[in-house]
Amino acid sequence: MIPRDVCERVLRAAVATGADYAEIFAENSLNHSIEMVGTKVNTINDNVIAGAAVRVYKGLRSIMATTVDTSEAGLMRCAKNAAAALGTGDPVLDFTLTERLYGDIHPVLLVPSSVSSAKKAAILRESCQAALSYDPSVRQAVGTLLDVDHNILIANTEGIYAQDRQIRTRISVSAVAEKDGQTQTGSCSPGRRMGMEMFDGLIDPAAVGVEAARQAVVMAGAGYCPAGVMPVAIENGFGGVIFHEACGHSLEATSVAYNASQFAGKLGQKIANDKVTAIDDGTIPGAWGSINFDDEGTPSRKRVLIEKGVLKSYMIDKFNGRRMGMESTASSRRQSYAFTPTSRMTNTYIAAGEDDNREIIASIPYGLYARKMGGGSVNPVTGEFNFAVDEGYIVRNGQICEPVRGASLVGKGSEIIQKIDMVGTDMDMGQGMCGSSSGSIPTNVGQPLIRVSSITVGGR
Amino acid sequence: MDFNEFKKAVADAARQMGIPDYELYYASGESTDVEAFGHEISGFTSSVEGGVSLRCALNGRMGYASTQVLSAQEAVSLVRRAAENAAVLESEEPALFVDGSQTYEDHPAPAYPLPDAAALTEKVLELQDKLLGADPLVLPNSQSYASSGTQTVAIFNSRGLDVSVSAGTAEFVVAPIVGDGQEMSNDYNFKAGDPAKIDFDELVSKAVTDAKNKLGGSVPQTGDMPVVFAPEAMRSLLATFSSAFSSEMAQRGLSALRDKEGQMVAGANVTIVDDPFFEGIAMPRPFDAEGSPTHKKNVIEDGKLVTLLYNLQTAAKAGRTTTGNAAKAGYASKVDVRPFVMYLKPGQISEDELLAQAGNGVYINSLGGLHAGANPVSGDFSLQSGGFLIEDGKKTVPVKSFTVAGNFFTMLSHITAIASNLEPPRGGGSTGFTSPSVLVEGLTVAGK
Repeated sequence: MIPRDVCERVLRAAVATGADYAEIFAENSLNHSIEMVGTKVNTINDNVIAGAAVRVYKGLRSIMATTVDTSEAGLMRCAKNAAAALGTGDPVLDFTLTERLYGDIHPVLLVPSSVSSAKKAAILRESCQAALSYDPSVRQAVGTLLDVDHNILIANTEGIYAQDRQIRTRISVSAVAEKDGQTQTGSCSPGRRMGMEMFDGLIDPAAVGVEAARQAVVMAGAGYCPAGVMPVAIENGFGGVIFHEACGHSLEATSVAYNASQFAGKLGQKIANDKVTAIDDGTIPGAWGSINFDDEGTPSRKRVLIEKGVLKSYMIDKFNGRRMGMESTASSRRQSYAFTPTSRMTNTYIAAGEDDNREIIASIPYGLYARKMGGGSVNPVTGEFNFAVDEGYIVRNGQICEPVRGASLVGKGSEIIQKIDMVGTDMDMGQGMCGSSSGSIPTNVGQPLIRVSSITVGGR
Repeated sequence: MDFNEFKKAVADAARQMGIPDYELYYASGESTDVEAFGHEISGFTSSVEGGVSLRCALNGRMGYASTQVLSAQEAVSLVRRAAENAAVLESEEPALFVDGSQTYEDHPAPAYPLPDAAALTEKVLELQDKLLGADPLVLPNSQSYASSGTQTVAIFNSRGLDVSVSAGTAEFVVAPIVGDGQEMSNDYNFKAGDPAKIDFDELVSKAVTDAKNKLGGSVPQTGDMPVVFAPEAMRSLLATFSSAFSSEMAQRGLSALRDKEGQMVAGANVTIVDDPFFEGIAMPRPFDAEGSPTHKKNVIEDGKLVTLLYNLQTAAKAGRTTTGNAAKAGYASKVDVRPFVMYLKPGQISEDELLAQAGNGVYINSLGGLHAGANPVSGDFSLQSGGFLIEDGKKTVPVKSFTVAGNFFTMLSHITAIASNLEPPRGGGSTGFTSPSVLVEGLTVAGK
């Protein structure tokens, strides 16, 4: 994308006033999406994102300048702006860039841009059609097929010169069902770090539509969830959003480095129930949240965050690592060159345990079974989180009973992870887009079926 | 090349490819952001961003393509991609453009000298000193931020439209973290506008007071009770459910307000207004994302739904005229429909009088999880909340970790009182939501 000698000259300009680290992040991405309303292609969005950011550090100061002009002149302007913002001084760094060949653990078989929009529309139509014909109460289906071809280059004064091509594909269907004047939605949105080969046997477009419609139909016939404090069983897959919100964000250096996290200063301490082992793994081949290396050029890895309740690791980027006196854990991520990167999650999940799924449900005299979770959010300072239950059922005497809608779960992360007292065996993941200060990035959440012994359920 | 040169390159490419009708939408911005930690600058960002989106009509269908690269080669690629995309579209929606003969209202943006990098740095350090010294409970990891920047939106089309609007904004943010040794809590406050006219002491003290008020909060009892939504909470609800006012959502069957124009949809005390020229907004917008003139209008008037919001396409479909509410989430987004500054018209009484009317209940000034715990189609919500108990008509102890649940559209008919405390929407830009405090009966609070 940008030749090595150009990067070297730009980095030398960036460190001219005494920076102790400098970095170029350049990007050329093609985002393509097709939206279908009913069974007709309604919109095609086709956007080229291209630009670069030059970042310098000195001690605990970080300075970044961005541009849409990735010519040498444009990059030089950024480098000089960043160097000038740092103040005056003499260069203290010497370096040589060496190309890193990290390899690609996510080889793509069918590059999305090589597939015609008509072919993509046909896949989407199969999904939407399946949703619309699932049940007479399904009134509408809206589908999106998104593919991203994200090409990045990272060069820094530690000598790294690395390039990666990150291709991701995702299909998303939202169905609307109406019963007795009550309108409810259901959705299903699987995605992978793959090309269009995702649809060759791994993801069945019709099944995606059916799942969205099934949820909408069930919820359109559901009454309101009652409010109160009760035990809750949370299903696998996207249910893992509970760990992501209640705990994951508070383990990011973004908040830990500033002592603004409920878990700051607790490495080696028991913070969760014995049953909880949690992992962040950016190396799973083809997974939605995977990366070959992070947005600072550190090769991706798998790390245990919590082992049998004991805090083992945070998620750390280079800059925040300085404040913590700790190494990067390959957790630096950014939506695009326009965002300052920070520590983020990749594929984060509660590892499989030993409890039997039937026993987990049977153990609940009265509570909620959350079959599908929606999104949520957290305040990492206090650990107070919330998330929505998109498909819930009342559990009575150990039996899953009628569906309920409009439930949300709230609590405090540090308390909830102590209350995860049963963990099933069938770990699975779901896909999401995670929003934070460095933008919106693809992440997987995951877990087996778990039980939270008591949590506040918002309903009415 | 710059946008003016790019316009010509696209016009040439379109002519060569035989595409008569097209439109370029351009958005760009430059900004400087400074961040303080401790008594020092910890982060500094200077960014230049921009992009252009092309829409072209082929056989009555509108193809889109966008880019951040402004070059002669990219101009050709952009036209080709938009034309290819138009050929795949199947929706039976008319492709419409306005011509260059529009008349626009003139509402200049507030003008003041924007602080440069040095002035911003000085200001944010001063703000940070105020913040760290505001109260013994303020912890050293509290932060302050300042930014200033300019933004431009321009639209150019083959029918003679060539308009642009620019504005500059400075913005200041404080994010205190307070702790009493037992627990921590946090809050933030921000103000946009002329730094010479901002009361920075007030900016800091409100954020610190709000953060301190959350310490020691308890969980309220579960039950149905009167709820007072503070302006920041009611504003969030209005923003979350505003998509119901979109004619596009209504035409897709995704709005609870579809087919209800002319009908009562709220209590007679409720008037909801959309105003692109709200006093003090950073960038008043005389034209919408299709170049149509914009104007102030009541969406709900005395409880009656006067009109949904329309753009050219949805208006044509409904056999009426646009309300000038074409909008784009970003330069590359499809044109949809959104309000500019949407607000609930204030009433006559003070917030204290409103609390007195409430008697016993909860006062909610923070809502969380709006992107997940609220269903904009049905109106149902169940949201993480924080605030105070209302006892004998007065705010008393802080409460947190509870939810409030109800249905927004039902709630509009059960607002028993509306206070007079309407403030301008916070932040820069052309859009926002704001509201006075309201008292609502019959919502469910889930606590302990």
